[in-house]
Amino acid sequence: MTQVINWVKENLLATKVDVFLTIFGAYFIYFIFSMFFTFVFTSDWTLIEVNRKILLVGLFPEEDLWRVWSIFFLFSILLSSTISLVYGFQIRTSIFYVSMLLIPFLIFTTTNMLFHVMLLIFLSLLSYISIFYIKKTSFKFILSRIIIVSWVIFIPFLFLVLVLAGGPKVTLWGGFFVNLILAVIAILAGFPLGVVFALGRASSYKTVKLVSVVFIETFRGAPLIAWLFFAWFVLPNFLPDLFSLSDINLVIRAMIVLSLFSSAYVAEVVRGGLQSIPKGQKEAATALGLNTYLELIFITLPQAIRIVIPAIVSTFIAIFKDTSLVFILGITDLLRIGRLIPEQQQEFYGKSIEVLLIVALLFWVVSIILSQISRSIEKRLNVSQ
Amino acid sequence: MFSSLFQQLKSEESIGKKLEVLFYDRSFRKLMVQLVFSCLMIVFFFYLISRALGLELGFGHLGSRAGFGISHAFLIEYTSNDSRWQAYFVGIINTIRVSFIGILLATILGVLMGLARLSKNFLISRISAGYVEFIRNTPLLIQIIFWQLVLLQLPKISEALTFGGFSVWSNRGILLPFINSVENGSLWFLILLVSLIVTLFIRSYLNKYREENVNFFSPNFISLGFFLIITLISYFLLGKNLYADVPSLEVNQYGTYIQSGGFLLSPEFSAILFALVLYTGTFITEIVRGSIQSLPKGQTEAAQALGLSSYQRITLIILPQALRSIIPPLTNQYLNLTKNSSLSVAIAYPDVFMVSRTIMNNAGHALPMLFLILLTFLGLSLFISMFMNFLNRRVTRIGA
Repeated sequence: MTQVINWVKENLLATKVDVFLTIFGAYFIYFIFSMFFTFVFTSDWTLIEVNRKILLVGLFPEEDLWRVWSIFFLFSILLSSTISLVYGFQIRTSIFYVSMLLIPFLIFTTTNMLFHVMLLIFLSLLSYISIFYIKKTSFKFILSRIIIVSWVIFIPFLFLVLVLAGGPKVTLWGGFFVNLILAVIAILAGFPLGVVFALGRASSYKTVKLVSVVFIETFRGAPLIAWLFFAWFVLPNFLPDLFSLSDINLVIRAMIVLSLFSSAYVAEVVRGGLQSIPKGQKEAATALGLNTYLELIFITLPQAIRIVIPAIVSTFIAIFKDTSLVFILGITDLLRIGRLIPEQQQEFYGKSIEVLLIVALLFWVVSIILSQISRSIEKRLNVSQ
Repeated sequence: MFSSLFQQLKSEESIGKKLEVLFYDRSFRKLMVQLVFSCLMIVFFFYLISRALGLELGFGHLGSRAGFGISHAFLIEYTSNDSRWQAYFVGIINTIRVSFIGILLATILGVLMGLARLSKNFLISRISAGYVEFIRNTPLLIQIIFWQLVLLQLPKISEALTFGGFSVWSNRGILLPFINSVENGSLWFLILLVSLIVTLFIRSYLNKYREENVNFFSPNFISLGFFLIITLISYFLLGKNLYADVPSLEVNQYGTYIQSGGFLLSPEFSAILFALVLYTGTFITEIVRGSIQSLPKGQTEAAQALGLSSYQRITLIILPQALRSIIPPLTNQYLNLTKNSSLSVAIAYPDVFMVSRTIMNNAGHALPMLFLILLTFLGLSLFISMFMNFLNRRVTRIGA
């Protein structure tokens, strides 16, 4: 008891100012929470129950949903094995991820989904734990190569699963699925491209450097929404006419622009990492007889990327949040559907704030998990340095 | 440059050997790679140009009549009969307006929250942490729409909240009391601006002077006094042209409510401003927190040992040192805020992007318009970076 009193004295009532601040803070917290909970408990949430499927996958046909699920299975297995390989098993953070994932799960759960999510959690836990308990380093080396290759072939695989054998049209994609897929593709395509542009910017070839600088600064110069409008109005004219690509879907165009946009930001981050590598590393590599390319691939780049991983994850979070901008283009992403439901379903007329809160919650959960990953990587980096 | 290479080439006999020499010569290889690369780039560039020629190009259409109204015209007079250039400039001014106010407020909020995050008071630091975690991890666009929806939930104009006649809150916007000028007002503001600049010069001169003569009056007091005297004299000379502009709400004979006076925060402007300030504030909070935490702990302890109060400790010891590592990432956040202000297209606040979108809808010419937007934002970014670099140089110079 005295401990509690001492804690309160030290942390809440240390000085006169502190007493005032504590009272003010307590009132502020009370104010916000009472407003929030009054809203949550007085409003009617049936519209979420009715529109679960539309919010998550839009008009995606029911019989094709296995395509979405299989992509999610593969993605979560890959992700969990990568996390397990890179930074091991930590009970506290794992509990955090699971509890964060439970929030939307409680809202959106149905029997069909229950089964799939259970399977998903089981598979990712299995891969996570099995990789964690592999102690032999040679296995781990081979495994890391396999994982890298699977990340590389993930985008083509994703399109194959979605489109091949009579998949639904791209126009039927919708809901949170579109946001996730846009983000995943922008990240997976943007990262290698960004590394290339970062190397280009650090290159001693003047022309290469010029082209990289112009690309990076142009894409960073204008807001993303301007580039999405570029994708909407202008981009089809610049794409080659092969395979009648000129009438390519807006979602695909948004993917292209988002990848280029994220690559420009990743390039700037990686450039910072490259600059922070001490010169001695390069000289040591030269002394060992490595040529420029080997030195880059085996010495400089791995170290540079390792340093900037937290910053890259922050960029990815930003890109993920920015996928909500495709709303303005009229793509039926999560936000668009969230805005359309109260307008088009008469019984839920005027319930915009409720849907908006759910939409925000979904974005928030994914971002907070990503930022937690970034934070723990940062901690590990600080420890190992 | 290649003289040694030529000599080597001459000395070799067979063609195969000559090629080998060429292949292994570093500068020659560098040149070849660059040549091939630039050829590829030129081909690509010409491909883009040839494609672009099929589009509508040129800025001529911006000279013709705009034909659409803009709800927030500020500083520039605008009617739908003006040219599209005029509309575009109104858009630029709206962007600058929301970005400028947003940057000021976000900085204040961010610094306060960053300090609160490091406060020893448990409650206060938790509030700051919660604010960052919740606001930073939701998309800005959702926040903008959220604030617009919330502001539209305010009562109708007939039931507006008046707070004892000081301001009018309704779903048409928030009217705040404001100080306004009758005539000569802009002249007075001009005088204020000039005297402010002169004051800053005087202050820096006096500061230098004081370094040699220690027992001199405080330069801050002298320059502040100078500024106040100029302000007051010009105010009375120009005929007391300021008055308190209190908003009012009246019903005319047809039963319609008319709000007048005051400073109008329209729902669109307030929504975009609130969202931008809250969102960017989280990033600034993290920057401030990180910079202060990276300072050696001895600084705080030394300040405590000297007997400085916590306010003095922060303003005299901690913040001036932290500023050096705050300013570069802060510049980035300012640029982000300016670019993010273009999201106001979602709630129809007529910033530069919204106006360009309307022009694109009316007249096509998407590529030149997007190019113009790119130039505009590059210009704004350049201006902000230049200003912040200037600030950064000052801050680092004081420390050195």
